[in-house]
Amino acid sequence: MAHIWKDVKAVLPATKPEFPLQFSDVVDPSVLVLLGLSREQLYSSSDPPACVENAQIIMDYSWEKLNTGTWRDVDKEWRRVYSHGCLFKAVGMCHGEPSQAQVQEAIKTCDMGLLMGAAILDNVLQRLVGVLKKKLKMQLSSREEEDSDRPCLKKLKKDGTPEPRIDAAVSVPRVKCPALETFRSEYLEPQKPVILEGIISHWPAFTEHPWSIDYMRAVAGCRTVPVELGSRYTDEEWSQKLLTVNEFIDRYIINTGEGGMGYLAQHQLFDQVPELKEDIRIPDYCCLGEGDEDDITINAWFGPGGTVSPLHQDPQQNFLAQVVGRKYIRLYNLEQTENLYPHPSELLHNTSQVDVENPDLEQFPDFVKASYQECVLQPGEVLFIPKQHWHYVRSLELSFSVSFWWS
Amino acid sequence: MKWFGFGFNGFGQIFPRVKSENSGDSSKVLSPAAVLSLCSCGEKTSFSPKTKKTEPEDQNIRITAAWSRKAAIHIHGGKHVCVSGLRGDSEQQDEEFRGLVVESEGCEDALITERYLILRFADRVECWSQLTPAGKALAWSRVWDSPDNTGDTVTLPLVPGGYIESKPPFFRPLSTELCAVSLALGTEHAVLLTTSGTVYTWGSGSHGQLGQGSVVSEDEPRAVEALWGVPMNHVSAGGWHSACISAGGDLYIWGWNESGQIGLPSKGLNDESQKGQSTGKDKQTMNKGEDDIFISIQAFPALVDVPEMCEIRQVSCGSRHTAATTSTGNLYTWGWGHYGQLGHGSKCSSDQPKAVEYFSKNGMFVEDVVCGLWNTFVSAVPKEHRFS
Repeated sequence: MAHIWKDVKAVLPATKPEFPLQFSDVVDPSVLVLLGLSREQLYSSSDPPACVENAQIIMDYSWEKLNTGTWRDVDKEWRRVYSHGCLFKAVGMCHGEPSQAQVQEAIKTCDMGLLMGAAILDNVLQRLVGVLKKKLKMQLSSREEEDSDRPCLKKLKKDGTPEPRIDAAVSVPRVKCPALETFRSEYLEPQKPVILEGIISHWPAFTEHPWSIDYMRAVAGCRTVPVELGSRYTDEEWSQKLLTVNEFIDRYIINTGEGGMGYLAQHQLFDQVPELKEDIRIPDYCCLGEGDEDDITINAWFGPGGTVSPLHQDPQQNFLAQVVGRKYIRLYNLEQTENLYPHPSELLHNTSQVDVENPDLEQFPDFVKASYQECVLQPGEVLFIPKQHWHYVRSLELSFSVSFWWS
Repeated sequence: MKWFGFGFNGFGQIFPRVKSENSGDSSKVLSPAAVLSLCSCGEKTSFSPKTKKTEPEDQNIRITAAWSRKAAIHIHGGKHVCVSGLRGDSEQQDEEFRGLVVESEGCEDALITERYLILRFADRVECWSQLTPAGKALAWSRVWDSPDNTGDTVTLPLVPGGYIESKPPFFRPLSTELCAVSLALGTEHAVLLTTSGTVYTWGSGSHGQLGQGSVVSEDEPRAVEALWGVPMNHVSAGGWHSACISAGGDLYIWGWNESGQIGLPSKGLNDESQKGQSTGKDKQTMNKGEDDIFISIQAFPALVDVPEMCEIRQVSCGSRHTAATTSTGNLYTWGWGHYGQLGHGSKCSSDQPKAVEYFSKNGMFVEDVVCGLWNTFVSAVPKEHRFS
């Protein structure tokens, strides 16, 4: 990894005066001192490694600020400080001849900034990851042959999650590539769920780069992502953890069952890994909404068979696109709310207390009165979930879905 | 008596940082070290490393610490405050600062925060925002109509009629019916002790730091019901946790256990230590202990024991660590340790109280402990002095 420093340095402004450090007076003077010192060390000939220590202090201090008050209310200036800390640390680690583990650690540090910080210096953290990933890949490909014991997707055993029987009378209707106007008048305006067929088959995720475990490892294996642990987010033991995609695959997809359930859920992976965004397209039907294309939230949902999203509702229209595997989905419209027993607490009021496939009818007797629709969503299909429609989702096998929230 | 410090020294607040090529991690002091930058006023200070002579005159000094600096308060004789750590002006940025604050002369009590030095005099309280001669500014002050002659009855941040917060508008009124004797301010919450030994909390409850059994916030002081009937005589507040000691010497802690600061099993710490042990190939060990019970948020007060049969005398909470002294003169620390703030000679965190061996090994009796955000200050005397 001898030449990494030159490439890493190239993502930064060429000289110290071109590297801005402008913050509002929300940021304590003591932190400004450390930021200035780190920048100084980064541009000096001998000190870049020393910058790691100061950068860690900046990260630790701003981390405490990010955990003070509610997440929404944290001043953006502290997110910027945190990103600067991550940048200084990641760059400082690449000085000299970093080991592969150090490069991996530097990528992880950039990801922490991308996940919790704010964009700085023309998205420098994303650009830095791009450089580091190339270096890591060069090393990995030269070792690839030794790595033949890696289990491939075919060897994965089918897990025994029960196959749902779909009642034809309540199954969600399917329609093939409807015209925009047809979709608007028959489904969007009356707010009726529908499965759209054939509208994503052109995605590179199905053609040039068919998504698979190996492909995810190649494109995003070294990236750190938030993983939900525990079978459903309403459980007492549910928690979140940061893992690399490789770690997530090893622990929760290859070795399912041993360490409980893990689900890479509701994460904006496509902002974090631009290569993956190239593989998908925003459905044309989103243009029927009033919002800008930039306002569309795209989330990844990647996990083994058996992941469950409890019955809940979202405040936006949703296209749920299924890329890998199948998912069983149950839908209840807004009028059914009183039969669904939403959680009383403010935090979970958009989530039902009922376990849809195994309801406690003594506790929730009216649940049987609630009428619903259901389906098994197949790869290549897109489910339109109208705004505030209650939905319950269970994966039937290894699954990768992409959701588009739009208005 | 002598003051020791350990933990975060990034601004030279424990001792001046040595600027040399191979000084290593001088921002982290891993074991108790004599506080060298205690004072610059020349008034009988502490310890000379050259002559190995100890001046036993620190007992007239109390310490208050913020993240980047600390203040030594001289409470007898010529009362004044000396500040060390980051200087307040932005001109010579990376210079550490040590000096007597002229304006503090005659003060009864002081409290330092990241941005302000709060000084209490007999008849008034003042908040100073810049501490160097160049840019000193009085940010706020309040004079009492009738001078307070009650002496040391209340300590900062309590003042007659209310308390001082480290951000504008500084003064917050408190009902006199509460009969407050001491108040501890955490990052976003407050823990108050009354004359009858009742504990009240208010502010953010996001991490269970109010001890009310929930993660809800409270605008007004509310008694911690779980402690009803157990009179307390000491309270402390950290970043997201709180602690109190009963009249019988029992220690109660509640709030966020992110780094083990509550002294109960912490998931984060468990993961951290497993990561350190496994070489990466050894995936089986990663799942070990999955069934163990971990506490993330302790929303009710929990009784925490130290590994010794004794009473707890004092407790102080840092941002994410906790330190307590015992009737036997020992110091126990636990929680976040990455900056050496536990004083165990390492950067390890711990979710169990562990004795700081330095003091027992050197035959010292720990008298007082004050945590800064990421560091710990301790005063101790040779045991023979105490018992002779």
